[in-house]
Amino acid sequence: MNILITSLARLLIFPGLLFAVPAAWFFLWVERKAVARMQGRIGPPFMQPFYDFIKLVGKDTPQRTGASEMLMKAWPLIAVSAAAGAVGLLPVLPASGGFQGDLILLLALLEVPSMCIIAAGFSSRSIFGEIGSAREAVLSVSYNVVFLLAIISIAASQHTFRLDALAQLPASPLRWLGILAILVCLPAKLHLNPFSLPNAEQEIYSGPMTEYAGPELAMWELSHGLEWVAATGLVATLVAPQLTLWWVAALVFVALSFFIVLLLSVVASATARLQIDTTVRFYWQCTLIFAVLAVASALFMRFRA
Amino acid sequence: MNILTMLWKNLWGGSRTMLFPARPAAGERFRGLVRFDPELCTGCAICKMRCTSRAIEFKTGKGEFYWSYDPGQCTFCGRCVEGCKSHALSQDEECPPVYTTIGELKKSYTVARKPPAPKPPAAVAGSTANPATGGAQ
Amino acid sequence: MKLWNRLMCYCRRRSPWLFHMNAGSCNGCDIEIIASLTPRYDAEQLGVRLEGSPRHADILCVTGPVTHNAVEAIKTVYGQVYGPKAVIAIGSCPATTNVFIDSRTLAGPLNLHIPVDVFVPGCPPRPDAIILGVAKAAEILAARGNKPATVASEPEVVGECSNCACREANPKEVQA
Repeated sequence: MNILITSLARLLIFPGLLFAVPAAWFFLWVERKAVARMQGRIGPPFMQPFYDFIKLVGKDTPQRTGASEMLMKAWPLIAVSAAAGAVGLLPVLPASGGFQGDLILLLALLEVPSMCIIAAGFSSRSIFGEIGSAREAVLSVSYNVVFLLAIISIAASQHTFRLDALAQLPASPLRWLGILAILVCLPAKLHLNPFSLPNAEQEIYSGPMTEYAGPELAMWELSHGLEWVAATGLVATLVAPQLTLWWVAALVFVALSFFIVLLLSVVASATARLQIDTTVRFYWQCTLIFAVLAVASALFMRFRA
Repeated sequence: MNILTMLWKNLWGGSRTMLFPARPAAGERFRGLVRFDPELCTGCAICKMRCTSRAIEFKTGKGEFYWSYDPGQCTFCGRCVEGCKSHALSQDEECPPVYTTIGELKKSYTVARKPPAPKPPAAVAGSTANPATGGAQ
Repeated sequence: MKLWNRLMCYCRRRSPWLFHMNAGSCNGCDIEIIASLTPRYDAEQLGVRLEGSPRHADILCVTGPVTHNAVEAIKTVYGQVYGPKAVIAIGSCPATTNVFIDSRTLAGPLNLHIPVDVFVPGCPPRPDAIILGVAKAAEILAARGNKPATVASEPEVVGECSNCACREANPKEVQA
């Protein structure tokens, strides 16, 4: 019973839904405001992502004919629930029992939103959706190699896939190498410049999202915000030192995520969108080195230990 | 690295934005709304002929004429102002306001024709001028 | 319900998403729309976002006198914008076809084809005038609620949001 209560609290309150949704809006605002300030503008007011969400919920729902109506309604909901689940699984608080989850589960949940975007573009039966989904698929294949290799090598060096072991990493060069590799993959995961291909507005009319409107679009925006929280939270838990008091751990988690959001905003405002071939070449030629180094050092440490 | 120093300067240098209802001042030769002075107008209708977008309407009547200007139709080129010999038209620095109904901004005037100025004495003996001619267009 | 309607009215005014469409324009007004997103004028301080798809937007900004080729496209895109929606005619061309008044290639001013809410005159209008027009259209959108606009330019009836603060900003809508 105790286990059920604590796992429900982790999934629903902190770092679950009750924390994740306002944190998602907050991080979306921080990114827009930081990019605006660095461009010399003022930027949106504080509650802007919340206003956008409520306004989208109040728009007309689209009526679509054909078999794809159920499917198109389902994709944003699957994306939101997967992203919220990923946030709920993050090992923020020291292991207090309850549903521990697994690194494999966390990685799978982090992948589901981009799979949903790809599927949504193809099921929208619009040419812009197909092109956008194809781009998103190519992007996903490229950055996932580095991302998964880096995080799996960090886990393999600890000889376990349990999440609380990830939160208690010893300080080693392998850990920082892995964190650096993951940070390089984050702009692609979150569709930020320089890898914001699927959102190329002037070229493909918002790509996979072209046919979405109203409450479904609100769900897509929310899933995007939750992806922000999950991805930055993952790096924050890897970086954070081991702390005993739960509220100090929570504060450090939020502060580190905030700092990573600022870092990503600097990268987003300093760069322009790269083409698809440059992106693929970047991830397969340049950053693969990181991942290979991480795997090599993990193997090395394993055979030494 | 230039981009990073630029971002840093932007971040700490403050924004250059004008907060919402503030608007930048127009320069002194800005071609804004056309202003009409009924006192100076002689009813020659050169402005209507020169107008490129038919924003100026002119109808003549007995002893008076009707002049109207629609800023929604106007393209602010300034030909009417250049062509007006009596300097009744001028362009000020005010931008036309935003409106919601077609024709809302149209301004019309009905101006009585003024008698022509009395001729100088040297030419009085030779003229048989009839002062109040409502000259046809 | 009342609270939800007031919240919806408040949020609609603060989050106008734009879709820009060119119906045969000379591009002068299009450039000024882009200029209103630059740091000096910064439309984003009002929450304005230029969207890539008409289905995402609330406000359709149309520039240009409507040429014969563009009429069907304008009507299609207007149908693709989900309600509640508003239309802004930017520049003097869509309002009155401006200098092209005798041209054979035009299908008339914009309000013959779709209901237009705000006209922003100018050739081209200054970016601050465009932002004023967007703010006014956002207020009209918020006050309209969920009632659809009519084709002819009849005055708009205030929707269900009759208590919110946007009414004081726009007393003309109440008398309509």
